[in-house]
Amino acid sequence: MTETDSTPNRTAPTDAVDSVDAVDAVLDSLDAGDGLDGYNYAYLDEHTKREVRRSILKAIAIPGHQVPYASRPMPLARGWGTGGIQASLSILGPDDTFKVIDQGSDESVNAANIRRLAGNTADVETTTDTTDADVIQTRHRIPEEVLTDDQILVLQVPITDALRKVDSSDASNRRRHAHKNYGKMWVHLYENVVEYGEINIAARYPTMVGGRYLMDPSPIPRWDVPKLDDADNLFVFAAGREARIYAVPPHTSVEPLAFEDREFQVERFPDQSCRACGSTDTYLTEIETDDGQRHYVCNDTSFCLKRQDNEELPKDHHLDREGVDWGPGTPNNTTADSGGDAE
Amino acid sequence: MSLLEAEGLTKVYGDGCAVCLDRTGDRAGTNQCPICGSVVACADVDLSVKAGEVLGIVGESGSGKSSVAELLALDAKAGHTDGAVRHANHEGNLLDVDYQTRHELQNGEISLVHQHIRDGLELGFSGGGNVAEKLLSAGWRNYEEIRERVGSLFEATEIPVDRMDDPTSTYSGGMQRRVQIARALANDPNVIILDEPTTGLDVSVQARVLDMFRRVQREEDVAAVVVSHDLGVIRLLADRTLVMRHGRIIESGLTDRVMEDPHHAYTQTLINSVI
Amino acid sequence: MGYVAVKAGEEIIERAADLFEKQRVDGDEATLSVDQIEGQLDRLTAQAMSEAGLYAPRLAALAVKQAQGDTVEAAFLLRAYRSTLERFDETVVADPAEMFATRRVSPAYKDVPGGQILGPTKDYTQRLLDFDLETDHEGDEPDDPTGDWEVDDAEPEELTNVMEVLREEGLVHEPDSEFDGEPTDTTRESVTHPVDRDEVLQELARGETGAVTALGYSALRGYGQVHPTLAEVRVGKLPVKIEHPYTDDEVRVTDIELSESEAVVPVYAKRDDPQFAFGYGLTFGRNERKAIAMTILDASIQLDSTSEPAENPEFVLDVVDGMDSFGFIEHLKLPHYVTFQSILDRIRGIRDRTGVTGTDTADSTDDEADAPEDDADPADREPAPMEANTDD
Repeated sequence: MTETDSTPNRTAPTDAVDSVDAVDAVLDSLDAGDGLDGYNYAYLDEHTKREVRRSILKAIAIPGHQVPYASRPMPLARGWGTGGIQASLSILGPDDTFKVIDQGSDESVNAANIRRLAGNTADVETTTDTTDADVIQTRHRIPEEVLTDDQILVLQVPITDALRKVDSSDASNRRRHAHKNYGKMWVHLYENVVEYGEINIAARYPTMVGGRYLMDPSPIPRWDVPKLDDADNLFVFAAGREARIYAVPPHTSVEPLAFEDREFQVERFPDQSCRACGSTDTYLTEIETDDGQRHYVCNDTSFCLKRQDNEELPKDHHLDREGVDWGPGTPNNTTADSGGDAE
Repeated sequence: MSLLEAEGLTKVYGDGCAVCLDRTGDRAGTNQCPICGSVVACADVDLSVKAGEVLGIVGESGSGKSSVAELLALDAKAGHTDGAVRHANHEGNLLDVDYQTRHELQNGEISLVHQHIRDGLELGFSGGGNVAEKLLSAGWRNYEEIRERVGSLFEATEIPVDRMDDPTSTYSGGMQRRVQIARALANDPNVIILDEPTTGLDVSVQARVLDMFRRVQREEDVAAVVVSHDLGVIRLLADRTLVMRHGRIIESGLTDRVMEDPHHAYTQTLINSVI
Repeated sequence: MGYVAVKAGEEIIERAADLFEKQRVDGDEATLSVDQIEGQLDRLTAQAMSEAGLYAPRLAALAVKQAQGDTVEAAFLLRAYRSTLERFDETVVADPAEMFATRRVSPAYKDVPGGQILGPTKDYTQRLLDFDLETDHEGDEPDDPTGDWEVDDAEPEELTNVMEVLREEGLVHEPDSEFDGEPTDTTRESVTHPVDRDEVLQELARGETGAVTALGYSALRGYGQVHPTLAEVRVGKLPVKIEHPYTDDEVRVTDIELSESEAVVPVYAKRDDPQFAFGYGLTFGRNERKAIAMTILDASIQLDSTSEPAENPEFVLDVVDGMDSFGFIEHLKLPHYVTFQSILDRIRGIRDRTGVTGTDTADSTDDEADAPEDDADPADREPAPMEANTDD
């Protein structure tokens, strides 16, 4: 970054504009180019990228285990995806295509901002088509369309430890993970059922990875949790503020914690369909209109657009195989309770 | 044939020196080494417990009885430990096992009822939750079955079943003690260690809790080691008794014999001073 | 209309930024110069430098200007910048005894070798708003209030460090530490607990001033055992030296302004050999309250207990970092409607099943095993509080 004079006198407001500003500054100085060296490919220096990649490899070798890494300050604030960005920038290459979604949407301000940063510093093509992307960075959703063994999903994680709910001390929790001592979490679930008759966890549903580590799948809805199990693609979970990376490699078992007789349930959308495309087998989110009405629309906006052209488009339309298990609304889905889905 | 055996159990707090053991104990009249200041909480303790038998350990504060209880329960704590604990179903010295094995033993065959309730229970969980934790840690995954087992344990330990879902912090001291015992019984251990079971209980409650434990112990045929300063507790529950003082065993035998015909002067004093 | 209903307008973002720009430059006063900020608002710049972990007064002044005075935002800009800089060298271990102190007080003693030097401080002034400052920018340069002082030429006396005095008497207990001489760099290695003291001190030094002060205060206020006596508070310039790349001689590269504090706490670790435990604090620039608060936290953390927040190293280190706290708190403004939908699903499901809403629920759930007792009065149940899902 060049010294004082060339940076324009932008103010520093709060909100998403902040982070956009900071990214602007980075991109401007890239163009300036003279004086000090410009940024390295994909913004991060090679040392950092190597460390992040090593952490990812270690995470893949121990599925569900949280690997600490020295998270670098990024031009975005902590909490806004700095972990995900570090992971993505460390694995993107110039031939890759990159997709970024936030809350299932490519259009979100934060997603657009991240896409710009990567597009400019890593010189990658960007896309909104899930089936076209090599690396997808996402906040809080796994796309509706089936991911393949060519794709990597990078999830932004705010809180890395499922045990945080039962103990705030990371030192104690690390010992629990090391000894597979998850009794306290099970009691927590038991108390849940005692109080509410069912397990009362909405998102961030605790899962057991490879039968060994308890993992927080990030704040994805329960709807998306079944997709983690025995998938073809790699899942990378990255937290910038908490400085941890963990991963679920392909074909790993991921089981949401539940009792034999109080099973894991996904969200339900009884009698609802997407107002835009008519889907009844996708995760919907509700919208309150100005005139007090409530409508539901597909949360995965890019898939919704495709469905608007073709209502019957299956989630594995881009694959040769049939009957893929990719969560609710896919033919081989093994989740007991799916919302009104079209099977 | 013994279920549980201990040889040469020794626990020293402090730096220790060459003469600690010699300069402490019954003849020395202290458990603190006059040279280096280390406290020899217990030393050279040998004992054995048969299946289904209750062994009592009696002594005053500082006698070392609680240290022995902790060692038998594999409750690893600070201080320097020596000696061996052996169990009929396991090879080797249980004091040397790794964390995982120790955890399995504590969750399975050897249960400890802590002296202080706060060491044994999560007051934030429900009473049933505390007991369920033992089952869940042992791999129980069927909610209704867990509920049923917790319910029957509550009944066995005489806790009102309709309080099962209340936070343990709302229980009386007696109820909390019963929950501890229910937890200890949850996974059908073959030996339970009770460390000062009457601590914090009113006298009338004490009697009921002890009666309950005696009944349960006999019904389940579970061995027990009962540690107490209270002769009444020992007399009620124990088949055999050890008397400890200054970290050493000074007398042992059948409870009836020790109570009626104490050999050691200290034992005599102890028995005579019971009101 | 929300974040996503509009195509993520670069245009929308630019307009928002322009609106803010307008707010700042509205009005016809000339904008502040970086020089003015560096010269007249150096408390702000000091805070930004400390929290960034980067000593660069002029850059800090720029960051403060860009951040419109928000010190955490300024520190953020500096940290991001710092992470792009190449690291040439490490300094020789700095010796605080070499500090040229413009201010040194030692509350532990009435008189100390070298004297109590009040220096430039507002500590004893009366806090009355000075309305002259409203107009002092008009007209000529302001007067130098020390203009007609008679300045002595004599060399200042050596300031003996009071902690050394105590150490020589054998009164100071060195904290247990596995430190082997190579400090960890917490900007390069992630902090995991249990932490060693060098990591604690680094994190505290870069901690957000308000957080460090508040936690230090908590210990004094009663939520902790540490109530220290300050042995030293110093403000001054410390020479920074490196080994010359060719000659290997020690060379001074610059001086940095620091605030430093050392405190003792009577702690009788060994019954027959009572000693003081001590706490240490250091910040860039002039920020005495943070340096002192640091000493309290350093001493408190050595107690390593979970009963008081200030004594719990995990708690303190988790909450003092300004970037982490600011980022995470402000991230709550990001859209969270996916998880919120999930929460709504749970709440509605439970309400349906327990009959609170009275809607026909029979087939919308699969909980046959747990059908609510219809005779249970729904009013008996408390509304189901959700899992704290706001922690995302």
